Amino acid sequence: MTTADGSGSSQERPQPGVPRPYTFPSFQRTRLDNGLSVISVDLPARPLLAGVLIVLGGAGDDPELEAGATVLMARALSEGTDNYDAIELVEATERLGASLHAEAGWDALSVSVDVPADRFPAALDLVGEVMARPTFPASDVERLRDERLNDLLQAHADPRRRAEEAFTETIYASSSPYRHSAAGTRETVEGLGSDETRRALARRFDPAAMTLIVGGELGGLDVHAMAVERFGSWKADAQAGPANTVDASPSTIERRVRVIHRPGAVQTEIRVGHPGLPRRIPDFHAVSVMSAILGGLFNSRLNRKLREEKGYTYGASAGFDLRRSAGPFAARAAVNTDVTVPAIVDMLAELDAIRIEAPTTDELSAARDYLVGVFPLRFETPGAVVGALSGLVMLGLPDDELARYRGAIEAVDADAVLAAARAHVRPNEAAVVLVGDADAFMPALEAANLGPITVERDEA
Amino acid sequence: MAGLTIDFTDERLPNGLRLVVSEDHVAPVVAVNIWYAVGSKHEVPGKTGFAHLFEHVMFQGSAHVTKAEHIGLIQAVGGTMNGTTWLDRTNYFETVPSHQLELVLWLEADRMGTLLEALSQENLDNQREVVKNEKRWSYDNRPYGSWNQRLLAGVYPPEHPYHHPTIGSMEDLDAASLDDVSSFFRTHYAPNNAVLSIVGDLDPAQARAWVERYFGTIPANPALPVDIGDLSLPPILGTEVRETVVEAVPLPRIYWGFRAPVFGDHRLDALDLAGQILAGGKGSRLHRRLVRDERLAQDVSLFSLGLVGGASVTAGWATARPGVDLARLETAYWEELQRLANEPPTEDELARAKALTEADELGSLQRVEERADRLSMYATLFDDPGVVNDMLPRYLSVTADQVRDACRAVFRADNRYVLTYLPAAVPAGDHVADAVEANA
Repeated sequence: MTTADGSGSSQERPQPGVPRPYTFPSFQRTRLDNGLSVISVDLPARPLLAGVLIVLGGAGDDPELEAGATVLMARALSEGTDNYDAIELVEATERLGASLHAEAGWDALSVSVDVPADRFPAALDLVGEVMARPTFPASDVERLRDERLNDLLQAHADPRRRAEEAFTETIYASSSPYRHSAAGTRETVEGLGSDETRRALARRFDPAAMTLIVGGELGGLDVHAMAVERFGSWKADAQAGPANTVDASPSTIERRVRVIHRPGAVQTEIRVGHPGLPRRIPDFHAVSVMSAILGGLFNSRLNRKLREEKGYTYGASAGFDLRRSAGPFAARAAVNTDVTVPAIVDMLAELDAIRIEAPTTDELSAARDYLVGVFPLRFETPGAVVGALSGLVMLGLPDDELARYRGAIEAVDADAVLAAARAHVRPNEAAVVLVGDADAFMPALEAANLGPITVERDEA
Repeated sequence: MAGLTIDFTDERLPNGLRLVVSEDHVAPVVAVNIWYAVGSKHEVPGKTGFAHLFEHVMFQGSAHVTKAEHIGLIQAVGGTMNGTTWLDRTNYFETVPSHQLELVLWLEADRMGTLLEALSQENLDNQREVVKNEKRWSYDNRPYGSWNQRLLAGVYPPEHPYHHPTIGSMEDLDAASLDDVSSFFRTHYAPNNAVLSIVGDLDPAQARAWVERYFGTIPANPALPVDIGDLSLPPILGTEVRETVVEAVPLPRIYWGFRAPVFGDHRLDALDLAGQILAGGKGSRLHRRLVRDERLAQDVSLFSLGLVGGASVTAGWATARPGVDLARLETAYWEELQRLANEPPTEDELARAKALTEADELGSLQRVEERADRLSMYATLFDDPGVVNDMLPRYLSVTADQVRDACRAVFRADNRYVLTYLPAAVPAGDHVADAVEANA
């Protein structure tokens, strides 16, 4: 099986054909008299429709003592309405072959549905039902609250979730909600009940802060008229107010190391980073290309070094979590315990290097070509198209953001990548957070002189 | 709603490569998928984890492609790719903008034809370390992480190749040599052991011409198929098997495993619908009773993994809420399985399960990557890619009595493996290490 016997191998690499032009699907935007926006996007040959009703304002707006209220409220929306109890609601949804899903993140609340086109009107009735007429039964809210408390136990025990938890807690100031998960902490969740969930909905129940987005083969469906019929009479709740600016202050800007000690752990979960960036920044496209080169692509600097050269890990990555305010920037890897310190040193070295060495021509074109080329692949289904439009709405981005994305990425040059790295990657201000067996790596960690070290031991 | 029929062509090259092509011009993308009929079931004792380690080696370069360049090239044209290893097979797949199809075919052919020319000890050692870290990450350093290896070992006897998981053991990975890799490649990675499916925005004549050009001269392995013996098994375990593990888990959890009919048997379709009725979302029986009404469980699940060698496995779990009596949780779960084994589901329950299954099928098949994978799968396992169009009608034809009968045959006390995880009353971590030693 060699080239000599003509095994089909050919040195000549094929050249690409002519790309079929691609533009992000065009969409129509209308507005109801009460301020609710409607976006519809017709996608031929996609008979399974995706719809989502978005309400601006998310976990970032929870009062400090009620952190987690919005996420709990979203989970409780389908626990019963004026016209359906929870079981009637789920059975009605299933009979349509639909899945109805309510969730809240940092920036918005959403109720989404995937359903065949002919059953879309009936599914949209249910979306309206859970958004406008939820009853938040006390006993069911209590059950969901307990499930969240149990989930916190699970998060604490799982090394990767524990590492994320400890990382955000380390990098953000105590005044920042980003310090904890959007679903709240044990202390705050214990205090949540149906009053808090009711208030969490009322706080943002304003049609002017809502957008309905529907994508798929619409055929004759008049989405605007359907929205008028179902949502046209909704009025803002007296308690509703604009979304807050989320405090994303850092805890300190010193390099430091925090170790969560787990005796016997066979891997160390490593997080290195600091508060990052909000989504709405002028150099978003340069940041995207820079992140791909540093820790996004398979052949990113971090993955090439830690996985393909050293074999320290199954995968190393880095990236920005872009929210309304500055979400975290983190480099991540889970490495075998005995290479913990060399792996951290390599990660910090790459964070330094991206600020010093301009990307090579190959790195730059690989990253740009990936982001430009993968764009059509990302939008194969109605759910993905609707999801992208949801992102625009949640983050207050202009309607032409997706249409101009590819051109803006192509225009990023090496100088822009270097400038983005220098401005936004700050290894000297980074926290290094480790979850692993400190006994196995403490002497090496101290010798590496990375900054002040604190060690905590997790109890079961 | 209108069903979806996937049109395709199905042919073989003279060297045995099976080629399935399906056109769809909705989006400017094309998916390429190769199933090699080799999985962890082809591994022999002392060489577990080998099919998966080999899958990693497939990304380390071939005669005209350097280490990690395959992935680099695919990403640089805006594509996505991966490879996965399962008990019955190994697959490799790429989705790219449609004008890059020829590059993908060339890359797949280069490694099918010339992988060994680029094989080195250094690359093998590197990927062995990567795979060991994958094992630590996916199994060893994760609460309940040993459940699937324990469950496979409980449901399949030691002499059966499904007894061990695809990841294998650390010792066997350490022992893998370059000779092992070469002989594995020469045996299994031949065109007559592969199905190549291409789906999406393509010109079928052009695609076929490229396949013939790049794959056509790769020689077949006349020694295929490899005889791995008779994998048939008694349909039930014959006796209950129980196991209890005490380790660093936050909440007790009970896992269940049952031997079930092989993939392709209509009774397994009925079990898929039973899984929906019992644990498919908030309206399902187990969720309603255990999570919502009696509040014994934090979460519940039940599903079947279709396998062709002797028996499939139906598995499930329930995580206990803090302070719950585990015997009560186990009894309640078991009673719900028994109820469906004794009485057929209501017509409304079955209709809802079918409506959800239909939406799932249609939703999945929207994506060219999924369609290509299914065509390769059905061609490999059943010698018929057309099964892709039969599955939905098969699900829709299942009757309430068939659901009951399938449950009655599987959910028997003498066919159950029950694995209970209990939290260790010591600081987190200590027992993680113990568990690794016990598994290794």
